[in-house]
Amino acid sequence: MGLYIGDKMMKYEEWSKLAIKVSKASLWMLHFCTGCGAIEMPPVMTSRYDMERFGIAPMATPRQADVLLITGYLTVKTLRRVIQVYEQMQSPKYVIAFGSCTINGGMYWDSYNTIKHLEKYIPVDVYITGCMPRPEGIINAFIKLMELIDEGKARGWEKYQKYYDKYKENQRRVFNFEIEGENEEY
Amino acid sequence: MDVMGIAIKVALLTAYAVIGTCVGLLFMGIGRKIIARVHNRVGPPFYQNFIDVAKLLSKKTNISHGWIFDLALLFSISGILLTLLFLPIGGVQLLSMEGDAFLVLYLLAIPALGFALGAGASGNPNAGVGVMRALVMMLSYELPFIITLIALMIYYDTTSLATIVRMQSINGVKSWAITMPPFMLAAFAADMALQGMLMEQPFDIPVAPHEIASGPMVEFGGKYLGSLMLYKAIALVAETTLFVDLFLGGGVVAHGNFAFVINFIVWLALIFLLFILSILIAASFPRFRIEQAFGFYWKYEAIIAAISLIWVYILVIK
Amino acid sequence: MLDIIFAELIIAAIITFFVGKKIASIIAGFISILPLFALIDWANNFGFKTISFGIERQMNISVAGITLHLGITPLSWFFALMILPLFPLIMLYSYSFFKENDGFYPFMLFAFASTFGILLSKDMLSLFLFWEIMSWSSFLLVYRSRDKEAIISYLIFSVFSAFAILFGLMILWHENFSLLLSDIGRINGIYGFIAIASLIIGFSVKSVLMPLHAWAPFVYSKSDEPFVAFLSGGLSKLGYYGMFLFLFTLNGVKILQNYTPNVAWNYLLAVVGSLSAFVATMLAIMQDDLRKLLAYSSIGQLGYIAIGFGIGTPLAITGALFQAFNHAFFKAVLFLAAGAVAYRTGKWKISELGGLAYRMPLTFLAALFAIFALAAIPITSGFAAKWLLYEAAIQQKYVFIAPLMLIAGVGAFLYSFRILYGVFLGENRYPDVKEAPKSMIAAMFILMLPLIIFVVFPGYMLDLMKPALSNSGIESIAHTKFAIETSLAKYNSMAVLITLIAAMVPAFIIYKARKHRITSFEDNYLAGEPYEFHNPSMHAAHNFYKPLKGVVLPYFEPGATYYFEKIYKGIGILSNGIRRIYTGFVQDYAIYVVIFLLAVMGWLIWM
Ligand code: SF4
Repeated sequence: MGLYIGDKMMKYEEWSKLAIKVSKASLWMLHFCTGCGAIEMPPVMTSRYDMERFGIAPMATPRQADVLLITGYLTVKTLRRVIQVYEQMQSPKYVIAFGSCTINGGMYWDSYNTIKHLEKYIPVDVYITGCMPRPEGIINAFIKLMELIDEGKARGWEKYQKYYDKYKENQRRVFNFEIEGENEEY
Repeated sequence: MDVMGIAIKVALLTAYAVIGTCVGLLFMGIGRKIIARVHNRVGPPFYQNFIDVAKLLSKKTNISHGWIFDLALLFSISGILLTLLFLPIGGVQLLSMEGDAFLVLYLLAIPALGFALGAGASGNPNAGVGVMRALVMMLSYELPFIITLIALMIYYDTTSLATIVRMQSINGVKSWAITMPPFMLAAFAADMALQGMLMEQPFDIPVAPHEIASGPMVEFGGKYLGSLMLYKAIALVAETTLFVDLFLGGGVVAHGNFAFVINFIVWLALIFLLFILSILIAASFPRFRIEQAFGFYWKYEAIIAAISLIWVYILVIK
Repeated sequence: MLDIIFAELIIAAIITFFVGKKIASIIAGFISILPLFALIDWANNFGFKTISFGIERQMNISVAGITLHLGITPLSWFFALMILPLFPLIMLYSYSFFKENDGFYPFMLFAFASTFGILLSKDMLSLFLFWEIMSWSSFLLVYRSRDKEAIISYLIFSVFSAFAILFGLMILWHENFSLLLSDIGRINGIYGFIAIASLIIGFSVKSVLMPLHAWAPFVYSKSDEPFVAFLSGGLSKLGYYGMFLFLFTLNGVKILQNYTPNVAWNYLLAVVGSLSAFVATMLAIMQDDLRKLLAYSSIGQLGYIAIGFGIGTPLAITGALFQAFNHAFFKAVLFLAAGAVAYRTGKWKISELGGLAYRMPLTFLAALFAIFALAAIPITSGFAAKWLLYEAAIQQKYVFIAPLMLIAGVGAFLYSFRILYGVFLGENRYPDVKEAPKSMIAAMFILMLPLIIFVVFPGYMLDLMKPALSNSGIESIAHTKFAIETSLAKYNSMAVLITLIAAMVPAFIIYKARKHRITSFEDNYLAGEPYEFHNPSMHAAHNFYKPLKGVVLPYFEPGATYYFEKIYKGIGILSNGIRRIYTGFVQDYAIYVVIFLLAVMGWLIWM
């Protein structure tokens, strides 16, 4: 194993005003197209809703991205990949979760193989309600995220570092096997 | 050279390095805006790329895959700055008297090789494939470009870019190479090669984000990606300037007082036009496959370039 | 003194037959330093102030009424400068390369002694004599590979080359009745033409010029690496030494020109050289065997020298000699690095290697630097040589040669990166491999020194070749310590290096401004897939240039190699036929004798 190597603890306060301003204005996203929500991404990117005007651009890999979009329900198998991708992103990093599936399981509330509360496994900064959220909702979520960054409230990545053991504990419970690596840094 | 002279020279070179970076980032932003307009979108603000670079450089954490990975950062920026300073820009010679077009061709390889080393060092298979594609692209577009370069060189009987610019600026616009029929063909071929050099569509095969997860850049984030964006910005300026120096007289139209300012503005306008041209081509074409790109350059473009070379050769021999 | 050096080389060769591996390599290494003292001493002759050891410049050896004239000339001094230093370093390398002394050292010393002899020869007899010793000792070294194709092809081509050279020399002797090389200039007409042409053909076998290159991929890829490093780095230069000697120093160009005033023979040589550079580069891109790749790359890089000789202007010849000098060192380093990799991993296929850069960092650095020189990146002296050749082609308006040369230069990036990525970067496949032994590393790093010295001071290189050029009536081109100037442009290596270092500053600031954390290879983005689920391999080096394969290869594959394979087959069949003569019956042999006598008698009567 030995995959998950986290980042050093980083204080939000160490961050300069300018850095907050620029990081707010250029959110690069990695759309992890899991559930139904992926279908809402093309309209958001293309001419009708055009998210690029806010400086939001799609990226190909987690190394380059700032925002992870979880577009819908997650099976246990996918969750493993999501966590891997999330840990490969560079802080500061944010998570936006789509739809009721990520909040409480949505219409899969009694399914045996999906996870019900995404919050338990990775820290979510912004939720979008709805099944499925409209593109306006997605853009709204990004604006909200920008506000949160500005106010210093989008601290999911910090939370993840702080409560790393707890998150790992939860993750381990779903996977039923050891996924933790040598993580002295967390 | 005395101390003062050296100091002035260093200041000039630094100034041009900064100008080149800023102009490149600005152009990239404008390019995004234009593509957005072509797509009937609003697009990001024109200064978006400055923000992007600043954000990348201010990332809290960065991942490296070892010291060879870091070579990408070190060599990409330094190599491309070096290339830029060996080009005459808007009639200002900078260091172009100390080298020539061949040197520039090989200097352009330094950042590319550093970048390729870093990408390979990450060990990501996508990066390996991406670099392979980039190198095949390089082999493809260099053939027509080299042939047109040779056509210019034998016509002006020099390999020095500074001399080529000087000879083209004798009568202002009338003596630009592109006004001569054989060089019109050559300029067409070279412009297509430029499209490949800039890695714009339809030749963005090496970085194809949807096929190979942005290819060589797959493991680059934070300061590494930021430095690569800077590299791309400066490369844009350097490569368009190379074209302007070769075919458009380096943008030199005026002599005498204030010529410096006028030439600078003309140069800026010309590289901007070239960039817009390439952006418009990029906005309207899908991506080639790598074999198709190779065939395109080695068959059609090379033949066009070869015709111009033969034409020029006949002119020169007579 | 000179005869003592020769005697010691020969005695050492004989001694190394009988001693163990370590002692043999130490003896060979130290004995082969001796000629370097001679080189340093002789430098005084050509305007360089050095230490004098009192080694004579001329020597005549009389054996059984035949006199061998030996002596140093400016040309041979320059070539000795690039060939002879390789040898002690290769011996240093082989100290840890070989497991036991199984006949490598004696033949290697014979090859070395005869190389020294070839360079010192002043008459045809000694030239041919040493050439044959060199060919045969190197053949015996090739024979160690036990590879049929390599042995047969090397044998056939060596014999062909020797015959062509002998033929040329005999015509020259017949016309002049003088064995001294300096008398050749007097002949003219058809005989002179044939002699020079056959000499060039003979020499071009050793210098692996297409289409006479066909032996090289087999031999280079099968023999011991230290020998191949010497073969490619050193012995191939002997072919060009011969070409230069007969074309320029002895004015072969004039002889050719006088006979056929309307045909530009040197242009033909340049075309052959540029095709050789281009085709071999394209083939090198497609190779998966590390040694074959390097072999084709050698053919390509040596093609540039032929281009330079073909163009024949002072600029071009300077470039060609510079390229020869660089090639001797960087190709030796590359072959030695390949040998070091194989020594540790036992693999030759590029697609089976990978990730060695962090395991063998010094080997990687040496190979990287050599590759910079090969690809003519302006931070090594490789660039100045190529630049001179490009300038020369443009100056002469050779519009066919120049694009081929330049595109071959671009192709060099492609196969260089195949080596870098496939062998040293990419997936970490050999986590337990150790760095190569110290003696190997030392040898490679010392071989890199000239490449560094002459990028900082390219002018010194031109100074070194000045005596050789002026002796052949070629003026040397304008240069200072740091800059070379031609009628077309100027190349100032100092400006490049200083600006590069200055431009490193902003890069370094960005690098240092933010901390980074080094992560493991396993922590790679694979679309979220955990690494351990990836089986078996993530190394993208297999079939690396696949897109080019369908486009390029069909045009080059059935080239010269194909026909030469036919020739091998033909010769094999012929030899089998001839062998039947030896039936083993005494009566048959008696009949042969009778037939022979009758034939002789018949011939006498007819006369
Ligand atoms: S919330 Fe609705 S639309 Fe979204 S993933 Fe769940 S079921 Fe699909």
